Amino acid sequence: MEKAKMTRRTFVTGAAVAGVSLAGASLLAACKEDKKEEGGGGEVEVDKTGGTFKYYINEPAYIDPYNMQESEGIQVGSQIFDSLLDYDYRTEQLIPAAAASYDINEDATVFTFHLQPGAKFHNGDPVTAADFKRAWERLCNPNIADPPSEISYHLAQVLGYEEMNELETATELEGVVVIDELTLEVTLSDPYADFVYVVTHPALGPVPAAAEDFEAFTEAPIGNGPFMIDGKWEHDQYIRVLRFDDYYGDKPFIDGVDFNIIEEVEVAFNEFLADNLDFTMIPPGRIEDCIADYGSSKDGFVANPGEQTLLGPEISTYYIVINNENEYLSNIKLREAISYAINRQAICEIVFQGVRVPADGIIPPGIAGYRTGVWKTSLYDEEKAIEALAEAGFPEGEGLPVFKLSYNTGGAHQSIMELIQSDLKKIGIETELDSMEWATYLDTLSAGNYHMGRLGWIVDYPIMENFLFPLFYTGNGDNRSFYSNIEADEAILAARGITDNAERIAAYQAVDDIIQSTTPVAPVMFYRHSRVTSVRVNNFYFGPSMIPDLVNTWLTK
Amino acid sequence: MQAMVRYILRRFVQFVPVFIGVTLLLFAMRAILPGDPVLMIAGERAISPATYQKIVENNHLDEPLHVQYGYYMSGILQGDFGHSYQKGRSVTSIFADKFPYTARLAVAAIAVEIVIGLTVGIVSAIKKYSFMDMLLTLSTSVLVSMPVFWLGLLLQSFFGIWMKKVTGGAFSLPISGAGGPISAYPDWVHLILPAITLASVSLAVTARIMRSQLLEVLSQDYIRTAYAKGLSKRDVIIKHALKNAMIPVITFIGIDFGSMMSGAILTESVFSWPGVGREIYLAITARDWPIVMGGVVIIVLIVMAINLLIDISYALFDPRIRYGTNRAD
Repeated sequence: MEKAKMTRRTFVTGAAVAGVSLAGASLLAACKEDKKEEGGGGEVEVDKTGGTFKYYINEPAYIDPYNMQESEGIQVGSQIFDSLLDYDYRTEQLIPAAAASYDINEDATVFTFHLQPGAKFHNGDPVTAADFKRAWERLCNPNIADPPSEISYHLAQVLGYEEMNELETATELEGVVVIDELTLEVTLSDPYADFVYVVTHPALGPVPAAAEDFEAFTEAPIGNGPFMIDGKWEHDQYIRVLRFDDYYGDKPFIDGVDFNIIEEVEVAFNEFLADNLDFTMIPPGRIEDCIADYGSSKDGFVANPGEQTLLGPEISTYYIVINNENEYLSNIKLREAISYAINRQAICEIVFQGVRVPADGIIPPGIAGYRTGVWKTSLYDEEKAIEALAEAGFPEGEGLPVFKLSYNTGGAHQSIMELIQSDLKKIGIETELDSMEWATYLDTLSAGNYHMGRLGWIVDYPIMENFLFPLFYTGNGDNRSFYSNIEADEAILAARGITDNAERIAAYQAVDDIIQSTTPVAPVMFYRHSRVTSVRVNNFYFGPSMIPDLVNTWLTK
Repeated sequence: MQAMVRYILRRFVQFVPVFIGVTLLLFAMRAILPGDPVLMIAGERAISPATYQKIVENNHLDEPLHVQYGYYMSGILQGDFGHSYQKGRSVTSIFADKFPYTARLAVAAIAVEIVIGLTVGIVSAIKKYSFMDMLLTLSTSVLVSMPVFWLGLLLQSFFGIWMKKVTGGAFSLPISGAGGPISAYPDWVHLILPAITLASVSLAVTARIMRSQLLEVLSQDYIRTAYAKGLSKRDVIIKHALKNAMIPVITFIGIDFGSMMSGAILTESVFSWPGVGREIYLAITARDWPIVMGGVVIIVLIVMAINLLIDISYALFDPRIRYGTNRAD
């Protein structure tokens, strides 16, 4: 297979992707670069260049890779920084970003990344393997700033992570070695074939030497992405980025993006109605109006004039976390009864006007390996719920205490919990609503001082493992249901080492089956976008991970 | 004059116990409120035990409260208000960004309050029980009873959306934000709607106080004497009545200015105005104590300074009030 530069645009314009072979070989598909947009047979040439895209966000936590972690920071940061690889949800394939290709050894412990030659940072410095090492060590060094990075866990698999981050006996990551300017070798402490998906996270982008000035860099990061920051982050007001003309890949059509920081969705929507925003969130209750006024995107992800309402699925799941250590709730049949009893369709329709969809498992569609209806107990069935409750030894709820249904105030959680409360009452399980402020709620969950609660999980990387390991592996901090199953634990670790994509996915599906058979949690619904673009926006892709593609977007003048 | 300086110095000394009281109260609040600030940093996602421990140690969160208080106070004496748990930024730089916006909004809102509130109050008092008086009283009642958030959204819809569509943008006003290079409007135009919204409630109160005070003063004997001297109505009202009626109004406006300087959560939210009110509110919900403490301490200092200025200004309006001297009555 011939190695050639493949860029984001070739993918977006629908180029075919050659197969990605693993183990040893050079992996990335060769594609002919095609700069022309599809459709139209070359009739009218439209000038796509120019214009500023006005984009709504909330105040991010960080836009510096050092601590880039939530949707808002990632929407901005992913424009400023390119990680080693990128992931295309439409083809379910990894695509090159800062790395042109990579190799994996046989047991998935050593990864060699070959960087794109000629790539530059926004300050003109060349992008080298050392810049990745610097960036990753910046994440793992617990003494670089306070608070230390909360996302160093991305690199927890890298050899030497513990010594650097936890024990503080090392000042560098032993497993990250600069072979030469354009070759980065990463050694992991355990087999983990999915590491190539981990490095798609925008927080694992490179930083130049200028990052030494921590405070200045955090406010005005210098990256290697298609856009560069103009001035600095004006907190609670805006972040302006401009097209980076020395970008190694396809350059954006638009001149720049103004990220308008607005706290309230209603206010942002008013700005949109006044033609001051090109992209915003739709406030609750306005979705039908938007579909009627602006049209719906065909696939839910790509916006064009007249197809402006984006309702595509996001890679996150809303679920009821059940305390598996509780003396009653440790009973599998009781948990099954609870899960069967929840009328998810009603919740989605009543509370979310049918925008969100009932969850049929913990893994949402959009993740490679998703299967329809895989969690049997997630399919609402009142009769089965009643049966399971009897099998659990509590016919019609007899002998059960009143359970607490805990949730944090705000959002639509109260309405959801009220519906669940009435669903459970129907089969004889009595509950009381227990609402609390977010800070108190987190304390309560961490301390295990709850019966049932609500949580939403959004993955960092587009892989099944990023649901199964954090949420269900024994003793993990995010495993808030305190689920523990040695069989599942061992199966997860074994699956991690399988280098063949299809085999590994099948192995994770087997883990998913083990977990679903004991209903440690009750998945409720899958989140969806509720966004809308202005009529001048063309070919704007807002993917399941809520990362926008602003390189291929163009604005009608 | 010397007496005045002594008075001001004495007031400054009073800052010390108030300051200690406020910081102690905030520390007590910290101890009572549930919610672990370190867990809040990572949100829904769990934080690793090593990182947790590091944050606890860096911020002395494992030490007894009185030791933490010691660290905090010694920091403040060196001009260090600490840094945000969540954002990592220093509290001083956060508020150096925010206070100028809060001050701009407060001054603009107070200007609206003074100009409109006083005019309405004076007109209703002079034309008491007239149709004009009733109309003005009714409109101020409506303003008082209108929720700030709703008023803000209403003004946005009218001036930001409707006027823009109807006039092609000629008479429209910006909906949110404080201006800067991303806005099509000059910065000062961004102040108009937030200032009117923030001033709305107190404006109505100012007008009412002004009206009732002026009516009371106008019925006094010395006003009749002034008329008897042959002064014009205009002179009587401006030179004699207004001066005496102003003291309660100034007190109210002063207190109101102090509260506006401590931020206006609703107005800031609805207009995405980057002020201190919302910053502190969000910090409380996130248990980001350094921001809460720093913000409140700075506000206390500002409010005390404003109160001092008000007290001094009384002397300008009422010659009988003289500070730092023995009273004869």
